[in-house]
Amino acid sequence: MKKTRMVFVLVGVLLLGLALVGAAKDTLTIYTAFDADQAQVYIEAFEASHPNIDVEWVRLSSGEVYTRLQAEAANPQASLWFGGSNTSHIAAAKAGLLEPYKESLAWQYIAPQFKDPAGMWIGLYVGYIGFVSNTDFLASAGVDAPTSWQDLLKPEFKGEITIAYAFASGTAYTTLAGMLTAIGSPDPGFDAEDEAYVAAFSAQVGQYNSSGSAAATMVGQGEFGVGIVFSHDILKKAVAPGYPVVMTFPEEGTSYEIGGMALIKGGPQLELAKVFYDWAMTKEAQDLYEQFYRLPLNPEANLAAGSVKATDVNVLPIDLVWYGDNKDAMLDKWSEVTGEY
Amino acid sequence: MKLDVYRRELRGEFRRLRRDPVLLSIVAIVFALLAIFIIFPLVKVIQYSLWANGSFEPRYFLEFFQKVYYWRPLINSLIVGALVSVCGTTVAFVFAYGIARTDIPGKPLFRLVAMMPIVSPPFLIALSAILLLGNHGVITDALNLNWDIYGLPGLVLTETLAYFPIAFMILEGVLSKIDPSIEEAALDMGASKLRTFLTVTLPLAIPGIASAALLVFIRSLEDFGNPVVIQGRFRVLTVAAYHAVTGRYNLPLGSTLAIFMLLPTLMIFVVQKYYIARRSYVTVTGKPSGIGLKSTEKRVKIPIFIAMLLFGGVILLVYGVVLVGSFTKLWGYDHTLTLANYIYVFKVGGQYVWDTLRIALVATPVGGLLSILIAYLVVRKRFVGRGAMEFVSMLNFAVPGVVVGIAYILAFNTPPFQLTGTVFIIMLVFIFRRMPVGIRDGIAQLQQIDPAIEEASSSLGAGFFRTFIRVTLPLVAPAFLSGMVYMFVRCMTAISAVIFVVSAGVQLLTVALLYEVDQANLAAAAAYGYVIIAIVLTAIVLMRFVVGKLFKGGLTPMRGE
Repeated sequence: MKKTRMVFVLVGVLLLGLALVGAAKDTLTIYTAFDADQAQVYIEAFEASHPNIDVEWVRLSSGEVYTRLQAEAANPQASLWFGGSNTSHIAAAKAGLLEPYKESLAWQYIAPQFKDPAGMWIGLYVGYIGFVSNTDFLASAGVDAPTSWQDLLKPEFKGEITIAYAFASGTAYTTLAGMLTAIGSPDPGFDAEDEAYVAAFSAQVGQYNSSGSAAATMVGQGEFGVGIVFSHDILKKAVAPGYPVVMTFPEEGTSYEIGGMALIKGGPQLELAKVFYDWAMTKEAQDLYEQFYRLPLNPEANLAAGSVKATDVNVLPIDLVWYGDNKDAMLDKWSEVTGEY
Repeated sequence: MKLDVYRRELRGEFRRLRRDPVLLSIVAIVFALLAIFIIFPLVKVIQYSLWANGSFEPRYFLEFFQKVYYWRPLINSLIVGALVSVCGTTVAFVFAYGIARTDIPGKPLFRLVAMMPIVSPPFLIALSAILLLGNHGVITDALNLNWDIYGLPGLVLTETLAYFPIAFMILEGVLSKIDPSIEEAALDMGASKLRTFLTVTLPLAIPGIASAALLVFIRSLEDFGNPVVIQGRFRVLTVAAYHAVTGRYNLPLGSTLAIFMLLPTLMIFVVQKYYIARRSYVTVTGKPSGIGLKSTEKRVKIPIFIAMLLFGGVILLVYGVVLVGSFTKLWGYDHTLTLANYIYVFKVGGQYVWDTLRIALVATPVGGLLSILIAYLVVRKRFVGRGAMEFVSMLNFAVPGVVVGIAYILAFNTPPFQLTGTVFIIMLVFIFRRMPVGIRDGIAQLQQIDPAIEEASSSLGAGFFRTFIRVTLPLVAPAFLSGMVYMFVRCMTAISAVIFVVSAGVQLLTVALLYEVDQANLAAAAAYGYVIIAIVLTAIVLMRFVVGKLFKGGLTPMRGE
């Protein structure tokens, strides 16, 4: 009889398991390049104001979203791409992976440099690349915080710099675009001086990370001396928690990103995605950036105290569209020069 | 002549199969499953690495040896593998010798400590190494040291800790089964203890040591969780392949790197299975050989005991510091205790717990049953291709997780088997990747059970399923249980293969843990790690209880890899 009982239990476990797999709900699926804790704040706010829409989301870095859209082109799984450096959005638009949406309410009040002329993507926020240095490290190494791209090559910083892989993170690719513009000729792409600089810089790096903002935390924890990260991430992840850090900017001018949003071509729930898209550009939604030190593009949204505005730093004239268009070639070149991929 | 006999036998087996339609269809179904979920994905990897747009174009194969950033990670992986293999096997031998061949106290405790790395999630040991020995770690600061744990030293340290338990399990089995009468004979003839150890015990244990060392080598080669945290600039092949696929979406390159990872592991698998295993001098089955000679000499056992205490202490320290870290506000600067990390995990990761559990709850019984079914077919039934079935079903033992993950996205992204984006692909990865352990244990157990009981069931008119479920399954309950426990533990802790197949609808705890590691949120990562450990331990206790109630048999302790 024991054996019969066991058969019942086994069948029961199997049925329970199948029931747990369940049927998929009719929901909006989005890919987001916001950090998980931030994405959750925005998405919960959306769900609270739209109780009939359920948002299912995956957090990926912007480079990973782009590669995933390529992989799923025949069978898109998500409808909206929320956040992340717009160089990836530009590359995706070029690859024909995005759906235009010029009818959005926000289209009229977003300045032309913050949106795609064909309506493929729109800017959510802007961010500026900064240097974050651990003050304990600076004191013990007897060196000042770097204030120029050339400073990063100082021998005191050897093995002490951390940044993400250029292919894995929008932060790192934006930084690369800044280096190539600031060093040598400002023309986009690598020239001989750029190559020498990038190779010398890579030799200074102690660890490459998969995620752009990780460097801020690592420098805060003292694992590395200097990180290259967006200023909002430095403020949020290293300054606000109370780590002993200082934030500086390169005097030759720094690089910047536009955080982008786009509809995914052939996405399964495009109508729901448009509702989210419109909401994400409202003052209500963009006020949420304040707690994360991001700079909203809706002109009416609130700014966080201590935020870094374009007027605070010297911004390089970077051709973001060119860097978005030529991302694959630039990354190949980056691998050749650094020996990393 | 010989060929003729062989052909006649083959014909006989075909005839037998035709006469037993139930067996025939089950064998056919199992073969189909193995073909689709093990062979087909691997074929896809080879296809992607060698062909482009329909023509033969092994671009990355040719570039592999030309570009330093392609071949260097392979060399690095092999260096790490060799060092970890030596260190891990040495530590394991000391542990195994202490437990199997001496009368030191606290053996159950030592065994428990040695098992901890097996049930723990990935990343934790590397995280701990950073918390303790990183540039700003507890020990680094306390001793005011200036070393660099990132790179080779960190990799060897963390992987030795992570993989010595596998070697320990093998060596404990080998050392406790060496026939003491042989050693007694040597002692009686006047050999010293040391001489006996060096000329009798050690040579007898050599095949076991070789097996253990090779297994540790494979595990190190395919490790993803530790390198991704602590590799620094010492890039290893698993992480390189992961970035090739997820960072650049370069599938031909990812596939080529996968093949260079697969070649050494497959070679080792074949050498271990068909060469070393056959040279084993200890009998695993057959009559029990009694308990090995216990060394009670103080000058032998005290150094061993001290070494074990030290190493056990290191393991406890590793897990202890992560536990403290998970309750710490700002590691390195503000050591106020807080529950905030756990609150964060349940707020952000509540859904992940649920998703991971429901996947594990389906994959575990399905995988457990399938492994025993295959073991049963291989041991008890005679049919064409029996050896092939065993080989293929055990193949994933040697296929690194990163390779399985890449293979599954290549194979199941397009019709006829379009599975990407579903929970099923995750379950299938778990089931087919982890079955070999269940099958191996099932085979070992079935070989020790007299087939007469099953034959009696058949003679009394019970069909295939009736006999399998009512007679075989209860008889192999311990293997069934250990297979399921292992499968469940792996569902909760695996990362290297599933990281490629997770999707919007389903999130796994280990993937969430990887994300926190990527973000350098060490405290949140530690909290995720301990949530996973708590679930795993609860499940092991529950499963032992349930299966123990059902079978009342003696249950074997959980076996690892």
